[in-house]
Amino acid sequence: MLKCSFCGRRAVYNRRYAGTLLCDRCMVKSVERRFRRAMGEHRLVSPGERVAVAVSGGKDSVTCTHLLADYCARKNCELVTVTVDEGVKGYREKSLPIARENAELLGVEHFVVSFEQAFGATLDKIVKLAKRRKTEFNPCTYCGVMRRSLLNQAARELGADKLATAHNLDDEVQAIMLNYIRADFSRLYRLGPSYQPREGFVPRIKPLREIPEKEVALYALLRGIKVHLGVCPYAGGIHTEIRDFLNQLETNHPNSKFMILRMFDRMKPHLIAAVPEFEMRKCEVCGEPTSTSICKSCELLQGLGLKQGQKTLISAKSLVNIAAS
Amino acid sequence: MTKLGEITVKVRVIGQRAARKVRVPQKTRITDLLDQLGQNRETVVVRLNGKIAAEEERLADGDSVEILTVVTGG
Repeated sequence: MLKCSFCGRRAVYNRRYAGTLLCDRCMVKSVERRFRRAMGEHRLVSPGERVAVAVSGGKDSVTCTHLLADYCARKNCELVTVTVDEGVKGYREKSLPIARENAELLGVEHFVVSFEQAFGATLDKIVKLAKRRKTEFNPCTYCGVMRRSLLNQAARELGADKLATAHNLDDEVQAIMLNYIRADFSRLYRLGPSYQPREGFVPRIKPLREIPEKEVALYALLRGIKVHLGVCPYAGGIHTEIRDFLNQLETNHPNSKFMILRMFDRMKPHLIAAVPEFEMRKCEVCGEPTSTSICKSCELLQGLGLKQGQKTLISAKSLVNIAAS
Repeated sequence: MTKLGEITVKVRVIGQRAARKVRVPQKTRITDLLDQLGQNRETVVVRLNGKIAAEEERLADGDSVEILTVVTGG
C-alpha cells in the first residue's frame, strides 16, 4: 500500500509534479489551501462584494461554487450562481439540474439564462444554420462568444462585483497554447487569474487557475459532491488536440503545465506594455460594450441571419414551476 | 487461462463498455495497465476494488479496476 507523504494514511493520488503522495484528507485540504491562496494572493474578492459564479453543473464549476460558498461565508461576501443553457440536446438538460441541486444545497440563489431567450436560437439550431450557410466558424466559436456575452450581461444584471469562472490549470494552459498557435495577441494578454476589463464588463476571476483538472475532479469525488461528467457533443477540433498534446507532455514530463503557466505569468507584464490603445463603444445592435461598431456576438448572429433579442433572467424556481405546469 | 507469472484483473471503463477480464504480468501497476489500455493517466481517476487509488499501486490477481474519465475539457 502506498502511503501519504504527509500523514502516512493510504495514498489516493500521486502528485508527480511535486513528488508527493496524498491521502484523501490531505488531497482535499491541499486543494482548498491552493484555492484560498489564489483568492488571497491575487485579491480576487474583497469583503462585502457580490460574486456571481458561472456554473454549468460540471465538476469544475460545481467545485468552484462549493469552494466559493465557503469562502464567501467567511469573508462576508454574497454568492449567486448563473447557468447558461446553450440548448444542446442530451447534454445541458442533464447538467442543469445538478447545478440547481448544488445551489440549493449551498443555499445560494441560482439563475438560468438561455441562448434561446437571448439570441432566439439554441446552440443546436445555430450549428445547423452555420452548416447550411457554410460559415468558417465551429460550434465552440459561437458558444464561447455568446456564452461570455450572456454571462457578462447576467452578472451585471445581478449587480455582481465579480464574475467567477471555473477555469482550471488545464484550461488556462490550453488557452495560452491556443492563442500562441493562432497568434492572437489580444486574447493572450487577457489571460490571468483576474481580468479587469473596460467599462460595461464585470471583472472576471479564475479561482481554480492553479489547480490541475484531474485534482478538481478528485476533490469533487473525494468530497462526494454531485457533478455531471458528460462531454459536450460539439467538443473537438484544435482544442481537443491541444488538450491531448498537453496531457501527453505532462505524463512524460511532469510539471510541464505549471511551467507553461509560470512562464506566461512572467511574460505577461511585458505583454501588457505592448497592448494597443482602443476606444470602448456601444454595439450598434445590442448596446453591449465593444471595441468595434458591432460586438462579436451580434456579428456572428447577423452572419446566420439572426438578430439579438432581449436577455431575460429566470430564477431556477420559476423554471421548475414552468416545467411542472 | 492465466499463464504462470500473470494475473487477471477485472476492468471497467465507466460509461464506455462492460467489464472485461484483462491479463497482465504480476506486479503490474495501475499506470502500466492504463498504458496497455491506451488511457492517459492525466485524464482518469481509478478505483481499485471500489476505492480511489494512486496509479503507482500494484495490482493483484482478481482485483477490480474501474476507470473514470474525468478530464473532458471543452
